[in-house]
Amino acid sequence: MKGIRRSLAAGLTLVMAAGLVLTGCAGRTEEKPTTTTTPAASDPAKKPFEGVEIRFLASQHPWTDTVKKDIAEFEKQTGMKVNMEVLAEGNLTQKLTVELTAGTGTVDVFMQRPLQEAKQFEKNGWYADLNTFAKDAKKTPAEWDMNDFHKGPIQAETVNGHLVGIPLVTEQQIIYYRKDLFQEKGVKVPTTMAELEEAAKKLNDPSKDFYGIVMRGQGNPAVTQFSSFLYSMGGDFVKDGKFTMDSPEALKAFKIYGDLLGKYGPPGVLNMHWQQASALMAQGKAAMWVDANSLYLNVTAPDKSTVGDKIGFAQFPAGDKGSAPYSITSWGLSIAKSSKKQDAAWEFVKWASSKEMVLKTQAAGNPSARASAWNNPEGTKSWPKEWVEVAKKSGEIGKPSDRPLVINVGKARDLIGEIITAAIGQKDIAAIAKDRNVKLNELLAEENK
Amino acid sequence: MSRWIEKNLKWVFPAPAVIFIVVMMAFPILYTAWISLTEWSMSAVTPAKFIGLENYINLLGKDHRFWMSVWRTFYFTGLALVGETLIGLVLAVMLNRDFPGKNLLKTLFLLPMVATPVAIGMVWLLMFEPTIGYLNHFLKSLHLPQSLWLASEGSALASLVLVDIWQWTPMMALIILAGLVSMPSDPFEAAEVDGASAWQTFWHVTLPMLRPTIGMAVILRSIDALKTFDIIYSMTQGGPNYATETLNLYGYNLGFGYFQMGAASSLLMIFFAIVMGVVIFMNWARKGALS
Amino acid sequence: MNPRKKVHPALNVLYVVGLVLFFVAFMFPFAWMIISSFKTQSEILTMPPKWIFTPTFKNYVEVFEGQDFLMYMLNSFVIAVGATLAALVLGLPAAYAIARRRLPSLGFTILVARIVPGITFLIPWFMIFSRLKMVDTMPALILAHMLVTMPFVVWVMIPFFEGIPNDLIDAARVDGCTEQYAFLRVVLPISGPGIITGSIMAFVFSWNNFMFSMILSGVHTKTLPVAIFNFLSYSEVNWGGLMAASVIITLPVLVLALMTQKYIVRGLTAGAVKG
Repeated sequence: MKGIRRSLAAGLTLVMAAGLVLTGCAGRTEEKPTTTTTPAASDPAKKPFEGVEIRFLASQHPWTDTVKKDIAEFEKQTGMKVNMEVLAEGNLTQKLTVELTAGTGTVDVFMQRPLQEAKQFEKNGWYADLNTFAKDAKKTPAEWDMNDFHKGPIQAETVNGHLVGIPLVTEQQIIYYRKDLFQEKGVKVPTTMAELEEAAKKLNDPSKDFYGIVMRGQGNPAVTQFSSFLYSMGGDFVKDGKFTMDSPEALKAFKIYGDLLGKYGPPGVLNMHWQQASALMAQGKAAMWVDANSLYLNVTAPDKSTVGDKIGFAQFPAGDKGSAPYSITSWGLSIAKSSKKQDAAWEFVKWASSKEMVLKTQAAGNPSARASAWNNPEGTKSWPKEWVEVAKKSGEIGKPSDRPLVINVGKARDLIGEIITAAIGQKDIAAIAKDRNVKLNELLAEENK
Repeated sequence: MSRWIEKNLKWVFPAPAVIFIVVMMAFPILYTAWISLTEWSMSAVTPAKFIGLENYINLLGKDHRFWMSVWRTFYFTGLALVGETLIGLVLAVMLNRDFPGKNLLKTLFLLPMVATPVAIGMVWLLMFEPTIGYLNHFLKSLHLPQSLWLASEGSALASLVLVDIWQWTPMMALIILAGLVSMPSDPFEAAEVDGASAWQTFWHVTLPMLRPTIGMAVILRSIDALKTFDIIYSMTQGGPNYATETLNLYGYNLGFGYFQMGAASSLLMIFFAIVMGVVIFMNWARKGALS
Repeated sequence: MNPRKKVHPALNVLYVVGLVLFFVAFMFPFAWMIISSFKTQSEILTMPPKWIFTPTFKNYVEVFEGQDFLMYMLNSFVIAVGATLAALVLGLPAAYAIARRRLPSLGFTILVARIVPGITFLIPWFMIFSRLKMVDTMPALILAHMLVTMPFVVWVMIPFFEGIPNDLIDAARVDGCTEQYAFLRVVLPISGPGIITGSIMAFVFSWNNFMFSMILSGVHTKTLPVAIFNFLSYSEVNWGGLMAASVIITLPVLVLALMTQKYIVRGLTAGAVKG
């Protein structure tokens, strides 16, 4: 017994000693100088960033694949070394969170989803303000041309007057449909919500394992695809500083979304993200799929789809207030505030978002935010003509956001997603919507405190 | 010097291991304990604000999702352990008999437990797919009702239990089998002399003798089952509609999805206490049963 | 031993059928994984499945060409071996002391390492390791994985050391050796099977670890379980690639398990059977 007590005492002393030592070296993050003394680019013949290493955390994305190929060229030009790390989307957020929380300058450049993360990251002080670089003629030559970017995407990347990222990839919600079946059954390509439901109903044939429509049914991911329904019915997530998920417009939108999937959707739709939904479309088991246009290769590429040549594209249908699909910036490129090599980091961001690179990435299939790329036939050559038409038009009329712009987007999406899953389950949603709306407003009040 | 070491062997030998554990664990635990008393969104600008026990009060008193995740954690662990023990017992009894190829079979049964969980999760994900997965096709070909597996709130957690049972039943079986093999033969001979039936022998002689073996295996397994993360993370991330959100997943979502580090930390502290409590309770029950 | 009496033949049939069913149920996911890894995406998604098809190696080529899978494999291997060896160095003497000097409370302390939820460590560890400039280095990953491997070594070895007869150690000490000398020269050499058991278990659990590797690894140290998520990308689920990657990740541990099964069984049963 005595031995145990003694070993306990010794253990406790050790714990405390170790705790002291360790907390000593891991105290609260101290502010880092925002700009560093990297050599100025005065002499163009000399490589100004010779030997500088930056770390770039990227998401697994076709954009990344295209840029990856050219990084060696960039390294040769600048003498810089880019340590690029590619992670799956969910893992990227987790890793960024841990590293930026530690604030030890391990990340220099990273890819981010402005609508999902910008507010939270900005509040946490994780972004460097890119205005200080982009608007500085010494650091950014005129030909980089800030004004070439569409306004919506730049707006999406601006929080509290700070430019937190450079928009890379944009996307709009569209309808994918089976041209052959629509023709065969004499169904009109839907232009209104009523026609959409009508078409889904006519083509639905569950006995043959074929479904009228497929969309995301998992609550949280479905919120973004639901947004266009909400806008088109005249609703919005937040109006005058309050959530309005129980408004008549919102309830109508929930009902349409829920009825489409609940009545004419496949079994198991509640666990469907776009991956599962697109797989069904690609397997010829659904007549329509409504989701982002950036995902079109999943249903058109011959190695992924058995019906690739039969897929048509159509603009999002009109609701009570016309057709109002989202047209959003899905990815942007940012610099970490805790980075100690911000000038070098900007050099890289500037290069990756330059007119030449953007034309290249767009030509490879990543819809960009630069007008010059859209106006250049080279920039749209990889897409079907019909797709380009729909994308351009949706871009013109689209809303710049596909989710509520609050800080805690994740939680808000979860709560709204709960209403969506209830609607798909054909439950009475009025009460649920009211309850969740109260919770959403509590969340909002908490944030504005 | 060496005599001194010998005299203090009890301290010197374990010291490196103990120092390592303490150094690696003390700071994280103390840090988490401190953050659990604060409100902090991991911001570099706004430091953590001390709010006392508010996070705990919110979780324990107001958070329905927390209690649901506690329930799911125990549901998952309980169902998995019962399944693994029962099926494991049957399998062990079946393997406790000589037949050709027995060793090979025993070896193959090891595979589920050593296979990398995140990889195996992906394989089950593919098999569970309601429309393109094999399981539903198989049920259909037998004219059995199909299930939505992970796609429905009602069946998702049970589907994950199924994966856990698949993964860990063989371990239970092999442990129980080792217990069976190492049993003394006298009690069985006595039972035979008394004219006991095979079932009576099993129930009154074999099972009681297996109890300590099973008890220890259940304790070790329950620690891991309560903490299951990889499989759930790679398959459902807690969905659909939180139906598979166990404590570990909720803690992860609070921290990395919602940036509520204070709340996440207090959840982790409670979670730690729960696992610790379960282990102590089970160990106490096991000892009680033995004496 | 359970003496077997005469069994009804019907029961015998039932027995064989039962065993076969068990076998099929437990092996099927592996079979499915391997079959799917040789199919194209659209073949994988076709139901009813084709059992006879022309195998494609495209998925494997993709895995090794698209990503540096060989390097990830090497990383996983180095980390697992490193964490196992280090766990032996620290764990063996500790287990010996716990076993021979009856220190159950110490044994329990080491078990606590398995009780703490893994997420607790992520942010604090990153803070420490990044300040020490150790993120994305082998030592950091090995240290983290040791928290997984060491408890295994200790728990496998305690009953093993308890089982060593006192006479052996006493005999060495009569010859004038110190106990630590006896530990090195007498105890360890006869503990080979136990050490192998503990090492295999430690290796497997380090190899399979996902969470710690996710946070602490980087370009230079990425391990296989982290790399597999790259097949769930933004714009597609590459099932074929995913299954091929799964085969590649699990194959080494499966082979190891097949070769060393008797040690693993002993490792699993060590703590439990002794009670």
